[in-house]
Amino acid sequence: MNLNDQILIHHFLEKSARDFPEKVALIHEDIRATYAQINSKADQLACLLGDLGVTKGDRVVLILENCLEYVVSYYGILKAGAVAVPLSSDIKPEGIGFFLKELEPKVIIASNRSERALKAADITPYNIGALILRSPKFKWDSTAFSVFVWEDFINEKGNFAPDIKIDESSLACIIYTSGSTGIPKGVMLSHKNIVSNTNSICEYLRLTNKDIQMVVLPFFYVMGKSLLNTHFAVGGSVVINNKFAFPASVVKQMAVEQVTGFSGVPSTYAYLLHRSPLADYRKSLDSLRYCSQAGGHMSFQIKDELRKTLPAHTEIYIMYGATEASARLTYLEPEHLYDRKDSIGKAIPGVTVRIMGADNKEVSPGRIGEVVGAGANIMQGYWKDKQATERVLDKYGYHTGDLGYQDKEGFLYVVGRKDNLLKVGGHRINPQEIEDAIMESGLVIETVVLGLPDELLGDKLVAIATPKDGDVNESHILSKCAQKLPRYKLPGRVILVKGLPKINSGKINRSKCLEFITGNKD
Amino acid sequence: MSELKDKIRSFVVDNFLFGNDDGLTDGASFLEEGIIDSTGILELVSYIEEEFPFSIEDEELIPENLDSINNVVNYIEKKSS
Repeated sequence: MNLNDQILIHHFLEKSARDFPEKVALIHEDIRATYAQINSKADQLACLLGDLGVTKGDRVVLILENCLEYVVSYYGILKAGAVAVPLSSDIKPEGIGFFLKELEPKVIIASNRSERALKAADITPYNIGALILRSPKFKWDSTAFSVFVWEDFINEKGNFAPDIKIDESSLACIIYTSGSTGIPKGVMLSHKNIVSNTNSICEYLRLTNKDIQMVVLPFFYVMGKSLLNTHFAVGGSVVINNKFAFPASVVKQMAVEQVTGFSGVPSTYAYLLHRSPLADYRKSLDSLRYCSQAGGHMSFQIKDELRKTLPAHTEIYIMYGATEASARLTYLEPEHLYDRKDSIGKAIPGVTVRIMGADNKEVSPGRIGEVVGAGANIMQGYWKDKQATERVLDKYGYHTGDLGYQDKEGFLYVVGRKDNLLKVGGHRINPQEIEDAIMESGLVIETVVLGLPDELLGDKLVAIATPKDGDVNESHILSKCAQKLPRYKLPGRVILVKGLPKINSGKINRSKCLEFITGNKD
Repeated sequence: MSELKDKIRSFVVDNFLFGNDDGLTDGASFLEEGIIDSTGILELVSYIEEEFPFSIEDEELIPENLDSINNVVNYIEKKSS
């Protein structure tokens, strides 16, 4: 069977279980699970979910960190014809009610890490059928829903063999967008959305069953999910390491497991470069075929340092996408890293990306417009939010809210977010340009530039940055920036901190940063 | 309990658990228990470097040295000896 014959997401697992049953598909600490083992557990879970009354289109919420149980659950839910809704494993009690109310899930599968939050949230009113907990620490007495211990539950024999009629247009996953501002929105992705994007990524990254991916991004984040699906599609392996907070342990494991691929968001690479012994491991990473980066703009300073630090044979793929696009929209071929500086490349196979003006007409090369993506990977819409869906989806595709342009050879560039533009005095300012200038100083690991409301200026520019070492101060950074930026683009203040607050994917949490600044006014 | 262990425990409880130690054991993994995230690890590193007369090298940023109260205490004792 050809890769393109797979029409449902779990077919990726099933095909690899047939082709490579004894191959190790997943490595996590002491666990090495084969395709046959994972597929058989996922089948079992699908039957057990069927016994619990879960059927086509029912939502099953997953609150698990990256682990074997996550992978079994994800594919098991899909095999049962249900919709997998992964939520952050660091969810807080006050956030749980919002999701349960709008999702009305039949079942929740969680680990003991989120057990305390589930207990504190009181999930009784939400009509849950069952809660399945891995290694629970608390005693659960509930008459409102059944409670199962994962370790016992998964070893039972399910009676209900799922014979659910789902097709490629069936809803497969709801993934909540990071929601750096406002209320999180549930992105509805069908089997076709994810399968088409997975096949496209496998094609341009030339993934094969020899590939071994180090995964430090959470599977509940769309990029993490895509790492799992692509490697299971080709019969490769994934190595889970949930301890990126200790980058040295990740680099060491990359060498030990001889991984061929590593993927991260900008902060992942900033930390690998400046808080890990990556350079010392250069000679031990002889299997590392490529590193890929997505999840927002990464300054050229980091790309350049990364190129100089990684082994020469390791290619760097800069990629661009959105949860609404099942992950990926464009990628830059590694050979263009320097000659197309800061480009996000071109559309991936099967996808069209256009730069459109406010009149919904394509703008000419060099002119800035909104990045609009179209293809089989574009979401069905936002869960229970028709208005928000209509704002971003139309006959042209998905309006990303990103501003960008195309050069004459068709390479795409993103210059910032439509809703991130700041107004300082009479000037419209794109914070990304200032962040890039601060990064170019070579003095900081990461930075964010924000606008603080100001009666005279409209917005007052404030930067928060993590210095590379203790000798760096605010005036060092500003004097470097003054060589590159006009006076009105210089931040009024640069606040130095040990690390910027992140959301779980590793992206910088801009609203937390803003809260931090407003609490730090002079 | 040693004075050093008390000191580390107080730092973790005050800074990451808002003063509520609620069953935090000395051997509990900060990351697995969701007590400290990656930014928190850097805060812990800064605290150790400010309080003790040594600096932490990048290759020492590993769970075996820093991912529980016991590990931190053992690491500091080893570095200080």
